[in-house]
Amino acid sequence: MTEVGLELLVCRDLRIGRGGEALLPPFDLTVRAGELWAVIGRNGSGKTTLLRTLLGLLPPVSGSVTLGRPNLKFAYLSQRAGLDEFYPLLGEDVVAMGCERGWSFARPRGKDLRQRVERALSEMGTQQFGLEPYGSLSDGQKQRVMFTRLAVSDAELLLADEPTSAMDMVAEREAFRLLDRIRHERGLGIVIASHFLGLAQRLADRVVLLDRDAPAVVIGTPGEVFAHAGFRDNYGAVDDAPAHG
Amino acid sequence: MTPPRTADQELPPGLSPDDLILAPASSANPPPARDEHVHEAIRAHELQEQAGPSWADFAQGWDRGIYRDPVVCGGLAGLVLGLLGVFIVLRRAVFVTAAVSQAAGLGVALAFYLAIHHALDVPPVLAALVLGVTATVSLALPVHKLRLPRESALGLCFIAASALAVLVGDRISQEAHDVAGILFGTAVLVRRTDLWAVGIVGGVTTLVVAVFYRGLVFAGFDPEGAKVQKLPVRGLNLLFWALVAIEVSVATRALGALPVFAFAVIPAMAALPLVRRLPYALVGAALIGGLSGALGYLFAFFFQFPVGASQAAVAVAIWLVTLPFGALGRSR
Repeated sequence: MTEVGLELLVCRDLRIGRGGEALLPPFDLTVRAGELWAVIGRNGSGKTTLLRTLLGLLPPVSGSVTLGRPNLKFAYLSQRAGLDEFYPLLGEDVVAMGCERGWSFARPRGKDLRQRVERALSEMGTQQFGLEPYGSLSDGQKQRVMFTRLAVSDAELLLADEPTSAMDMVAEREAFRLLDRIRHERGLGIVIASHFLGLAQRLADRVVLLDRDAPAVVIGTPGEVFAHAGFRDNYGAVDDAPAHG
Repeated sequence: MTPPRTADQELPPGLSPDDLILAPASSANPPPARDEHVHEAIRAHELQEQAGPSWADFAQGWDRGIYRDPVVCGGLAGLVLGLLGVFIVLRRAVFVTAAVSQAAGLGVALAFYLAIHHALDVPPVLAALVLGVTATVSLALPVHKLRLPRESALGLCFIAASALAVLVGDRISQEAHDVAGILFGTAVLVRRTDLWAVGIVGGVTTLVVAVFYRGLVFAGFDPEGAKVQKLPVRGLNLLFWALVAIEVSVATRALGALPVFAFAVIPAMAALPLVRRLPYALVGAALIGGLSGALGYLFAFFFQFPVGASQAAVAVAIWLVTLPFGALGRSR
């Protein structure tokens, strides 16, 4: 378990964007172990760009993203529910990918790994999807398999891009409950981009509001961000704001 | 194609070339009974020619190694290319194989050209390898910076290699048959060195795929997820395409571009819809590829067709046979 409060990711004067063009003004943020950050904003506000920059998949336009320690273990749940349905893989094959790290794929897979996969499938209630071809699952079921892949991994920092967009409300609630549990059990740091404001309101420790119209990046506790004029301009007062969608 | 023949096979069994020097026949000098026997033997041989080659002919050639080497070579190349083909098809890179095999064909043609016109002894398999790998590397260049999709680079590579191979072939008329063999797979015989090259490269390729299997699958299925989990995605991709380039180059030298392209695509197309798990697809595609290579040669032998086209046609025929089963599997 990662020590809660340990710095996992530190951004200084970070400007995100594509092709050298900044989308938003520079900002600082520090993600610590055990924290859940919600990234909110309208479509095209730069949520995915922010996550991809934090993961190192996109270079920052300026500023820096520093890992709290070398070899920090990331996991990523991408926006796409379906990855590549042409691959003849079962759900459990996809879940087992969560156990890979670095060159581990070149070592024979042990019995303990199989048990880890089975345990994660059982805990997530996704056993029935484990033996189904991944490509034949619905988008919501695929996302649940991807959550199971996260559960089986030894990641210290999870970045998820609208990971429940295709789930029904019950499955979504279950998924967030699982994330909340894992972050407390393992000290997992979590950054989630989501349109689900209920997540930010109920579970998040910190919220990042990306507003390209202003343009502005508002960072604070849920209460601070929901009281900000930029939030009210986009979503109205928090009581009027849609809890879902 | 007619089955390859050695000099002593040209005549019916029991006859020597001397038997064909016949004395002119006339009423004063009737042909001896021995000549009557020769005429009958030749007529029988002609009838046999019309009926086509027999299993006995094949068995005789097999024992001498004339047919054994190409059958084994076709089978081995089909096996390994079938295996690689599953990854190629899943990575939506089917035409990479076509472009690389054409480039390898150009390499072989260039080797002939250099030997004939410049007395430079470049091993054709080496030239195939250099051009095949160069084509693979050039396909990885960032063409998107020119605002062009990757398929356009594939098309350019394929067209340039094909055109140059034909142009080079035009300047080496005495080897034109070999160039045609390389490009379209009409080569009947396989050199022992090419067989060894196909065998060794195939063995190494299979071993590497087995060891790096999980990495190759993860990097292909979810490249971003694999990158985030610190898998060497770029290295794995590079390794995979290097394996494809080497295997395709060596197999193209031995069999020709057409069957190589066919083995890298069709067995995977046949196997993938039939199975629920990737390892089974790899085994299935390898078996179908191997079968296409070997049966294709037999088909060409008995029906006197070009070998490469026969091997490709057999692969297509197997795909057609598997098609209903694949459709059935999907509908379940």
